[in-house]
Amino acid sequence: MTIKEIEQQIVEEFSLFDNWMDKYQYIIDLGKSMPVIDEARKKDENLIKGCQSRVWLDCREEDGKLYFSADSDAIITKGIISLLIRVYDGHTPDEILESEIDFIDTIGLRSNLSPTRANGLVSMMKQIKLYALAFKEKEKALAEDKYSVEDVQKNVIRALKQVFDPEIPVNVYDLGLIYEIKVGDDRNVFIKMTMTSPTCPLAEDVVNDVNNAVSDAPGVKGVQIELTFEPEWDESRMSEEARLELGLM
Amino acid sequence: MKRARHDIITEVRARVPALNLKMNGENLVYLDNAATTQKPSQVLDFLSDALVTRNANVHRSMYELSDFSTMAYENAREKVRSFINAPSRENVIFTSGTTASINLVATCFCQRFVGRGDVILIEGDSHHSNIVPWQITAERAGAEVKVIPTDVMTGAGRSGRVAVEELEGLLSDNVKILAITQISNITGLHNPVGEIISAAHSKGIPVLVDGAQGIVHSPVDVQAMDCDFYAFSAHKIYGATGVGVLYGKKDLLEALPPYMGGGDMVETVTYQKTTYAPLPLKFEAGTPNFIGASSLLPALEFAEYLRNGEVGEAVKEEEGEIIAYMLDRLSAPGIELYGKPYDVGEKIPIFTFNIESINAGDLAQLLDKMGVAVRSGLMCAEPLLNSFGAVSALRASFAPYNTLEEAKTFIRCLERARMMLS
Repeated sequence: MTIKEIEQQIVEEFSLFDNWMDKYQYIIDLGKSMPVIDEARKKDENLIKGCQSRVWLDCREEDGKLYFSADSDAIITKGIISLLIRVYDGHTPDEILESEIDFIDTIGLRSNLSPTRANGLVSMMKQIKLYALAFKEKEKALAEDKYSVEDVQKNVIRALKQVFDPEIPVNVYDLGLIYEIKVGDDRNVFIKMTMTSPTCPLAEDVVNDVNNAVSDAPGVKGVQIELTFEPEWDESRMSEEARLELGLM
Repeated sequence: MKRARHDIITEVRARVPALNLKMNGENLVYLDNAATTQKPSQVLDFLSDALVTRNANVHRSMYELSDFSTMAYENAREKVRSFINAPSRENVIFTSGTTASINLVATCFCQRFVGRGDVILIEGDSHHSNIVPWQITAERAGAEVKVIPTDVMTGAGRSGRVAVEELEGLLSDNVKILAITQISNITGLHNPVGEIISAAHSKGIPVLVDGAQGIVHSPVDVQAMDCDFYAFSAHKIYGATGVGVLYGKKDLLEALPPYMGGGDMVETVTYQKTTYAPLPLKFEAGTPNFIGASSLLPALEFAEYLRNGEVGEAVKEEEGEIIAYMLDRLSAPGIELYGKPYDVGEKIPIFTFNIESINAGDLAQLLDKMGVAVRSGLMCAEPLLNSFGAVSALRASFAPYNTLEEAKTFIRCLERARMMLS
């Protein structure tokens, strides 16, 4: 089920109760039946700030999906976390980061929480998203480590060969517009490039295209582009392939 | 013919409009009076009238409206003076609350009288407002804050009352001031203030008394008590928020340097030197909350109405029954009451407790759904609660306008919440 579908399911469950004491009883029962968190995981770093009661939230990843466990010294709080976990559990970091959950408002829970508890709820959701973000960053970092500096260099060249000059039907790399490619140990890429003419009206577009293509190249962390007209470009800078292509050879 | 107690209490309650509110569809049972009290109509009417007929800055102008305003402000000061039996209006300084009153003394007293190696004695049952200001100023002065423990801290008992027998050993020559609490906002127990003050005075050490709860629940005579400073808030005794009182003995107040500089607290000002206004204005820099402060007149009149005559008698009887009933019900198994009195006479109707393995915040949340307003958390007395081994607690605090019926509703709702949560 998607996050939205689970939310819908919870909203329907709550619509069965016609008064708040029953809704609270349901939340309390959810809190009581929640699996307990491993004592060892109740570390200060897992303690959420901003909650009136103490709340611990832990997260683990399995096959690209996130699973949460939590505990609190307050049962109502625990019941509410169990709803949050039900919504988010087993989803990818991206799904979690993109989600905008509103079931808490729909079932009227937020207005029924005291302001101090409502703040705690916001802190809990923030923490869940922070976990998702952290796992996403970790994945990206792992992916970056898979490529050596040389690999990244090759990937950048491959990417540059996909960007074409707007006037001449040859890619920017073979045209000789790229003066320098530097891949740092941190996988940040520096590119010094030029245009066929300083008056090229589409210069900005070309730089943008280069930026996008290189950014998407596997292993690349960031891109910095410097546009220069020193020295000025001329046809001698074209590769043999390009010259063949243009019938100049 | 003597009127029935029930009729008298009904009349008292009719004077306090907020008591008729409904919360979450239920009649409000307001039991957070230690935090703030609800206001009687006479205070509400006085305030709205003041904003029309007495709204001009005080002590400044020659026109009639300003005279009305200054008179109302000074009438309230006179009312406070007589209410606490201070010798003169000079002894009564208006502040923004108990916290501000204590900060004033902590700052000015430490600046003048406390130095490196000196000791400030505070109490183990203090509210944060009577701990933190002393820590801040002691640090500045290079002095040390020491604590008169409670019986819980010494292991002598479980009431949370100050262990006065420890005092003698703590009153060393370098103790410069004692900051004590008349009645704790957690335990609701009267401390032996008189005993502490005479022990301190025998060594020439002045004493500040935090009367935030004490002023509400006991007649205060600062001269009989012989305290050197006494602090309380208007809003806890039916007055406006943002107003407090600092009583001080004249020689001490005169010896203190000014607190804040600004308008109204000066005699003459040149760019080089300023001479200060005489007491009490020396400590009232800037435009005071004159509307709020003036509400102390009807507020203290209401407090007197609750204390005297047949109303006083009825309220006292009701309160006695509330205390007996609550102490009985809160001694049930699985409940730990913080502030169990040795003698019922030392208890005011503040009940702070925990129910075994149930979170106080959960209880408060469910009680709210049933219309009962109580406090949960640390109640600004973290060290004291921690000494009981608690990280939070539930507190029901009654005012003279609360009834035994409300106490019963509270216990009934508490039982229901407890069932739901266990």
